[in-house]
Amino acid sequence: MAILVILGFALVGTVELVLSPRRPWKEVAAYLVLLAVAAAFSVMVTLNPDLPVPQPLGLLFDWLKEIWQGGL
Amino acid sequence: MKEHVPDRQGIAFVALFILGNSIIYGLAWRAGRDLWLSFLVATGLSFPLILLYSRLHSLMHGQVFSEGMESLFGKWPSRIIALLYSGYAWRLGSYVVSDVTNFIQAVSLRDTPQFATALGFVLLVLWAVKEGAETLARWSSVMIVVVGFVLVFTLLLATGQVDLDEFLPVMYDGFGPVLLGALQIMDFPFLETILVVGSIGALSRQKASYTVFLTGFVLAAFFLMLVASFSLAVLGTEKYTTSYYPIFMATARIDVAEFLTRLELVVGVIFALGGFLKMAVCLLAACKGLAHTLGFSDYRFLATPLVLSVIPGARWLVKSSMEIERSATKVFGISDVLFQVVLPICLWIVAEIRISRHSED
Repeated sequence: MAILVILGFALVGTVELVLSPRRPWKEVAAYLVLLAVAAAFSVMVTLNPDLPVPQPLGLLFDWLKEIWQGGL
Repeated sequence: MKEHVPDRQGIAFVALFILGNSIIYGLAWRAGRDLWLSFLVATGLSFPLILLYSRLHSLMHGQVFSEGMESLFGKWPSRIIALLYSGYAWRLGSYVVSDVTNFIQAVSLRDTPQFATALGFVLLVLWAVKEGAETLARWSSVMIVVVGFVLVFTLLLATGQVDLDEFLPVMYDGFGPVLLGALQIMDFPFLETILVVGSIGALSRQKASYTVFLTGFVLAAFFLMLVASFSLAVLGTEKYTTSYYPIFMATARIDVAEFLTRLELVVGVIFALGGFLKMAVCLLAACKGLAHTLGFSDYRFLATPLVLSVIPGARWLVKSSMEIERSATKVFGISDVLFQVVLPICLWIVAEIRISRHSED
């Protein structure tokens, strides 16, 4: 399944780049990096569906839950 | 590329965005039989914030998103703000994809994997995002008529099932549940309107931002109140507060002379239409925000990776229908307070100070 996902992203990237050959190189670079990140993320979620979600505001949330017992 | 959205289309855009995927949930269930009061309180409390969003939008009038942000907040601060809101919009977009695919699986396509339905929606959203806000606004102006007509028609057919005694006695449990219900609706869907600021583009005139945002908001709030109250009056408080999709259950009871039945499908179609627009607006805002962060004036080339990544995003953020329902009907999440209330107020104060300094110079 992971290989299929990677192939899918590679196909989409190739088609889009072929369809717009005059795109500036900066845009192409940003596009490729972002596509690679999206593909890596998809593979990670495919291989591990229970991948933990980071909670950058988790500490604040826990503290608020402590002072307000009504539940958020 | 500058986008121009006529006022009428802008109003439909805002209204349909708010109605979006919220119509099928048991909004303000914490208020129980007083949910109509919660809607009124939430509308009143949200009004100043929607006014603030309108002001922020009007300050960017005549400029494309990246120019407007840079002139209001400076180069680097505007890029950080755009990145934060881009992440928020992507997250919300993923939630909407999850809402729609879970709903479809729960009510009709039980054996179809959610990935398949999500892919269908996402490809359509990708096209819409690449077309931009003008096309979406034009589509909204047509669809709002269809949605409004169908909703009113369905509610009229169900008047025989409505029991107004379900609303009595008023405020039996005090004001606490009413306030909690109001906070639920403010968090989702009223104040999610902040994302429209970054996606809708230029309106006909500077003052039009107020007309578009406020009228669209009031229209959507009225429709949501009508639909939620109708569901409660048909189902009763107990069933309304315990079911995942109360409006779906309420319309399923419509039976006109054993001829016109199964009208819950109509609600499903409305949900799909609204969900599509909400996904598109979220991802449009995410693309515009990320393009500005990376220093590009055009956002379209970033659409494909961002839009495709909401499919795994939906699976990553939401694991079950219960989680979706909980996230849709929670009382203000921390990140929502930050992005819907705290940051917009700070941004507005900074923008006003910078503008007054510029005018003094």
